[in-house]
Amino acid sequence: MVGMSLLRSAAAFAARLGPLKAGNNAANILARTIPRTNKVATRWGHGKKMFVVKPTNYYDRRFLHLLRYYILLTGIPVAVLVTAVNIFIGEAELAEIPEGYEPEHWEYYKHPITRWIVRNIYDSPVKDYEKVMAAIQIEQEKGDMRLMQLEVRQQMRHHGDGPWFHVATPDKGLIDNSPKSSPDN
Amino acid sequence: MPNDHDKAVYPEPPRQTPAVDKQTALPNPALILTKLFYYTVDLPVTTFRDTIDSIRSKNKLVYYHQKFRRVPYLTECQEGDFTCYYEADMQWRRDYKVDQEIVKVVQERMKACQQREGHSYQQNCTKEIQQFNEVTKNFQSRYGDLGAYANAKKCLMKQKERMMAAQAQSA
Repeated sequence: MVGMSLLRSAAAFAARLGPLKAGNNAANILARTIPRTNKVATRWGHGKKMFVVKPTNYYDRRFLHLLRYYILLTGIPVAVLVTAVNIFIGEAELAEIPEGYEPEHWEYYKHPITRWIVRNIYDSPVKDYEKVMAAIQIEQEKGDMRLMQLEVRQQMRHHGDGPWFHVATPDKGLIDNSPKSSPDN
Repeated sequence: MPNDHDKAVYPEPPRQTPAVDKQTALPNPALILTKLFYYTVDLPVTTFRDTIDSIRSKNKLVYYHQKFRRVPYLTECQEGDFTCYYEADMQWRRDYKVDQEIVKVVQERMKACQQREGHSYQQNCTKEIQQFNEVTKNFQSRYGDLGAYANAKKCLMKQKERMMAAQAQSA
């Protein structure tokens, strides 16, 4: 270390000899070596620093960073939640239905998260079944009504006594009979 | 630990390991490997599972298999009663699923039997093979080529065709 400072002071002294000559400042004198032309450089340890000209990878890195960020923003809480549920609550076990007991509709599922979803978010399958049956019944009644309407219309037209095919005539008390009381006028 | 399979349905063949008759003083490498496997893999996995089970055993949830009531079949519905048709169709779909699972179970039994017996399976597994053939033949004749959009009405029409063919053949 003392040697280094000696060298440095020697370099500074040498630089003072010819300060205007290029390549003569302290760093250059210390760093420059005797050029050896007969030996080729086979191992470059810490070589000369190069400025490598390459296209930007700023946008690629930014994209990957943002992708990881937004995926993990909800990914990590979901993973933690699912792991905690699996460890602390655990899946259900199959059992026989006890006598006289009607299980709730969510008690037919195994995983606790599925049970929670079926209990709080979905309608019970009985309700879904009844909804479909109600839709079918409405359509059936509509179809039956239309068929019946056609049948009734046909019958009324045929027999002639149905109210749909009555033509409204004015009341017979409104007829003015006075031109008929003096004929050949 | 989870339950083992039913030993009556899937019987294990008798063990054929010979009695130990050590004639050398050298250690048995198979024994060394099994002990190594036990201490590096089996023991940590079992203790992990036991710890997790002990955490879970406080609140044990149960689930059941749903039992559905029987409703009138498609042949017992009035004509034009579409709600009755729908209920019969749903019942037919449930029965279709059950039958698919039955076929799978029978197939599993035959596969297990073949694996157990090795090269002499055709002799030793005749019961399983005969049961499998019968079950698949019946399934094919009932649900065979109905396709992906199968429903109760199509199956009923297929049954009608079958009965007509049987009558034409016997007449």
